[in-house]
Amino acid sequence: MAATGARRRIRWNRPQAAAVAVVVAFSLFGLPELLSLYYVDTMTQVAVYSIVALGLGVLVGRVGLYSLGQSAVLAIGAWVAARLLFATSLPFPVVLLFAGVVTMAAGMVIGLPALRMRGLYLALITLMLAGAITVVLATTNFPNGGGGFLGYNGSNVHIPPIRRPSAGGSDPAYLRYSVVVAAIMFALVYLHVRTRPGRAWAAIRQSEPAALAAGINTTLYKLWAFALASFITGVAGGVLAGASRYLYSIDFQPQDSITLLAVVLMGGAFSLWGAVVAALLLQLLPAVLHNWGVPADWLTILFGVGVLQVLTTAPKGLADQVPRDLGRLARLLRGRRARSH
Amino acid sequence: MPTWSDLQPFIVSGLALGGVYALSGVGLVVLYRATGVVYLAFGAVGAFGALIGWSLIHDAGAPGWLAWLVCIATATVLTLAYGMIFGPALAKRDPLVKAVATLGLTLILFGAMDLLWTTGGGQSRSIALPTDNGGFTVGQVQVNWTQVIGLGAGVVIATGTAVFLRYTKLGTAMRAMANDREITAMLGVPVRRVEAAAWLGCGVLAGIAGLLLADLVALDATTLTFLVISSLAAALIARLRSIALTFAAAIVVGLVHDLLTPVQALTNYRDMTPFVLAAVALLVISRHRVMGVD
Repeated sequence: MAATGARRRIRWNRPQAAAVAVVVAFSLFGLPELLSLYYVDTMTQVAVYSIVALGLGVLVGRVGLYSLGQSAVLAIGAWVAARLLFATSLPFPVVLLFAGVVTMAAGMVIGLPALRMRGLYLALITLMLAGAITVVLATTNFPNGGGGFLGYNGSNVHIPPIRRPSAGGSDPAYLRYSVVVAAIMFALVYLHVRTRPGRAWAAIRQSEPAALAAGINTTLYKLWAFALASFITGVAGGVLAGASRYLYSIDFQPQDSITLLAVVLMGGAFSLWGAVVAALLLQLLPAVLHNWGVPADWLTILFGVGVLQVLTTAPKGLADQVPRDLGRLARLLRGRRARSH
Repeated sequence: MPTWSDLQPFIVSGLALGGVYALSGVGLVVLYRATGVVYLAFGAVGAFGALIGWSLIHDAGAPGWLAWLVCIATATVLTLAYGMIFGPALAKRDPLVKAVATLGLTLILFGAMDLLWTTGGGQSRSIALPTDNGGFTVGQVQVNWTQVIGLGAGVVIATGTAVFLRYTKLGTAMRAMANDREITAMLGVPVRRVEAAAWLGCGVLAGIAGLLLADLVALDATTLTFLVISSLAAALIARLRSIALTFAAAIVVGLVHDLLTPVQALTNYRDMTPFVLAAVALLVISRHRVMGVD
């Protein structure tokens, strides 16, 4: 069983692998050199939010658990990372790991009782808990180099920026750093999806009673999905802390979780590419529009329309719809040519 | 700790707020029972209506009563239109998908409101109802008529809906649809028309709630859109089922929220009230059974 599983895992999809290599290489060596500082920052955000979208994609697309509170989870990761970066001189990757683990613990505390609920009730309870976390954060604020457990000093005049890794001091270098972290997170999720947990999740999504009957420990694997999603979102929060350098609680609003779910559904929750599409929609598009002087509110409206469109006509999202439609177009064109010859 | 006399005014405002939550919560429960949709855009349509009403008063100089009617009508039309277009399209899907689709409407309205009524430069809006000025005193507490209307509307709507569902033909049809849509349709109930009635009623309540909250709390797109999470909390505590329980939970949410205001240690956390109460209630209810199967 394990051997066949391993053999199946190695079977690579060549064009897919090549596409991944090209995207990662271009993001690492092309983007930081080519882009202006404005878009370097934007692409760093894209890298961060691709991880967040990936986490939500695991929950929504793989297991069918809808979370309406991912921006609160991201905020927990960012808070923990910022606190550790101010309080300790631990290396940055270790801080990221800690942020991921603490967030994972928080996610499991939320997830464990919530697992008794299904579908709608789970989505609504995550909405409620995210609202509660947002209220707490508004009061405690993000660490800004103060003392005590909270690390917030309201009267700080000279707020020190959040520390960055030595390998990512400048903005272009930090973009490279973020891309590497994102690539590792995507690899982590890919490994999960292609092995036993991924198959268990697929079974649970299809039918939980059937999965149970097939001998799958549904509680374990659902909790596992929660843990994985919270872990990578926590890591993303850590990267975000280094990218922003100053964190404020107003940056994490409950409506962000809703927008996030919208772009993940639009990008396509069933494919890992969907997470990249979602992050581009969420971060690059507003930056481009801002450059053109178009209010970002039009995007909010677009995302709303997008959600309705995806849910009614294209449940697999843009990452599935666009290649499929392009394929159809190509077949159509080829068909025409064949006829004309 | 605050003294009894400190708490008194907050009991009044809490009851008023609870009343508005109750009427919104009842609207949510009725719509969910009849169509299976948790209408997460309830707050957004109310806010949209209230902002249009505000514009009528401030930019067009329209009389107040016209603005209030337009506010309620806007919310009703938006809700009914959404229900007519996306209700049938998503009728066979999971309740979760139906709820998430209403988030699409929320985002559209949210973006439109931010675009049309930008809250720049610290400008704050409010709709003042004439009932704000009159009132009476109970003990040493001043009570204005808007607060009375808030609680009164909650009581009237909750009782009225309970009676309506119990004794009218349409109400019976709605209860039947809550149990099984297919069988109800087979028995000759005009399912689409009953659903439309539920959407209509829910829209009217969204408009009224938006208007009252714009007076009692503030007229701000974000605040109003998310204040309705409180009503949702009340509806969830009642497991989207019981009208009476929704009413009671809404009053408790409103009361606890406002009574925490004068408590120094907790005042910053008072906005957590609906979230915490709903989360705890859901967890307690689900202790012995898996939820969401029914």
